[in-house]
Amino acid sequence: MTHKISILLVEDEKNICDFISTSLSAQNYRVTATHSGKEALPIITSQCPDLILLDLGLPDMDGMEIIRQVRTWASIPIIVISARTQEQEKVKALDLGADDYLTKPIGTSELLARIRTALRHSNRLNTGSLLYKRPFHAKDLTIDFEKHQVILAGKEIHLTQIEFKIISLLAQNSGRVMTYDTIISNIWGPYADDDNSILRVNMAHIRRKLEQNPAEPQYIFTEIGIGYRMVEDEMH
Amino acid sequence: MDYSNRRQNILVQFLPAIADWFITAFLLAVATALSSFFFAIMDNPTSNIALIYILAVFLIARFTTGYRFGLCASLFGVVCVNFLFTYPFFELDFTLTGYPITFVAMFTISGITSALTSNMKVQAKLLSERDKMLMEADKEKMRANLLRAISHDLRTPLTSIIGSSTVYLEHGTHLTDKEKNDLVLHILEDSNWLLNMVENLLSVTRINNETAKVNKSLEPVEEVLSEAVIRLRKRLPKAQIQVRVPDDVLMVPMDAVLIEQVLINLIENAVVHSGSTEPVECHVEDGPSEITFRVRDHGIGIPAEKLSTIFDGSSSTTSTSTDGRKGMGIGLSICKTIITAHGGTIKAVNHAAGAEFYFTLPKEDSNIDT
Repeated sequence: MTHKISILLVEDEKNICDFISTSLSAQNYRVTATHSGKEALPIITSQCPDLILLDLGLPDMDGMEIIRQVRTWASIPIIVISARTQEQEKVKALDLGADDYLTKPIGTSELLARIRTALRHSNRLNTGSLLYKRPFHAKDLTIDFEKHQVILAGKEIHLTQIEFKIISLLAQNSGRVMTYDTIISNIWGPYADDDNSILRVNMAHIRRKLEQNPAEPQYIFTEIGIGYRMVEDEMH
Repeated sequence: MDYSNRRQNILVQFLPAIADWFITAFLLAVATALSSFFFAIMDNPTSNIALIYILAVFLIARFTTGYRFGLCASLFGVVCVNFLFTYPFFELDFTLTGYPITFVAMFTISGITSALTSNMKVQAKLLSERDKMLMEADKEKMRANLLRAISHDLRTPLTSIIGSSTVYLEHGTHLTDKEKNDLVLHILEDSNWLLNMVENLLSVTRINNETAKVNKSLEPVEEVLSEAVIRLRKRLPKAQIQVRVPDDVLMVPMDAVLIEQVLINLIENAVVHSGSTEPVECHVEDGPSEITFRVRDHGIGIPAEKLSTIFDGSSSTTSTSTDGRKGMGIGLSICKTIITAHGGTIKAVNHAAGAEFYFTLPKEDSNIDT
């Protein structure tokens, strides 16, 4: 029997807990559920789950605190769950080291996709795989990191240096949301201006080069108030 | 605590009086200075001097509260004219010809002016109070209407959800698989509808209660539009939507989450209510001082009598609505609230083959929050 991937679910609503556990168990994950943050921390340290699903609105402690404590010693992927209107909270969680977020209400297909992406990215870190060298490919788009080439439907697309940096960063983290701040400090350095409009304008230009209709993107999606998410790499 | 409060009360009571005394003293000083000036350069300045004092008394009565300042000023003026500027100088002599007339005239003018201005101030205060009360009443009415509309709109899908799940649980054994599936599907549809409604209501809480303003930041319109369309497609996978944005990158100050909600409401409204399977067109136009979002369908249009009240929030509860549950009353009224808070306008019109909703957002904004 193969080793089952273990997921720790920290969620205080019993009904939500139940349906997530059921759908994950059906996908052959081993799910441990806990209803409080105080219980969660010892479980994380003792069992070392492969992934943590964390509701930010816990009754007994701030979900942020759990992220902070876990990140002091482990890189276990953490996916936070929160309500739609709390962008600030999501950004904070992501900047603290959470890998991704899910918005309530959670659709199962979305949940599974996020879990797969997060696991894949953490495996890559652990095994040091060649993915960073291998080109990114999704639909008609190929990005060759070594050759600095972006090819769309067989045609090479000319991007500026900055635009290529942005799109590479997103592609290397494909499927995951990248916050504005993360992108800005990666591209312009840690002391860059907080104002994200330069990033937004660059992104608008990239989109005009890559997308047929910038208002209906195929490759780069906006998460309003949070950041950008590149479509999942198809060659994993 | 009590003491300092009282002291503050006294201060509050007397501060305006101090200011009024200042005004009185200042205007009288100016009048006296002017009179001295006329007195020095003119042969027979008495009438001018009297006029200057009358003017000063008039102004004092106008700009102070109550009668006493005006009356004091006229008394001062009368004495001054008599004492300083009429023969015999530096002596009071009330027997001069015509002097009692000046005296009476100045008192009368100040008295009447004070009375008129106090009256005016009282009237203005009453008017503003009545305005305030009317506004409060309006607000109350709006709140009550909104609550009524919400409860009505929420109860219907909840009834359906509770009904469907009860049937499933109690009579599950007698139902065919298809029937069971339909029941769950209805529960899903209704809960999605409820969720959208709740998000609509929540979005209103992002609008500042005091100022009715929103936190704006520069956002590219295409990102907001595309996210709205993606979110709507998740919920209504069959929706046909055509989206178009200008080639230029447009950055417009707005609260993106709220504008997204407006777009979702308008597009959903067009998809669900147009009664047409033709795609809903959604596009953005760039203007000199504002941008316009248009959502256009090719359906039945909006009844003429509803056009003017469609954003009022009550249209879903009127008897003309055949399908109360899917009424967009609250959704549209929230759109209006959001757009108004952005300093834009929202309108609904009929075109040759269907309805069009459009709203504008100002491009420039002095209080951008970055």
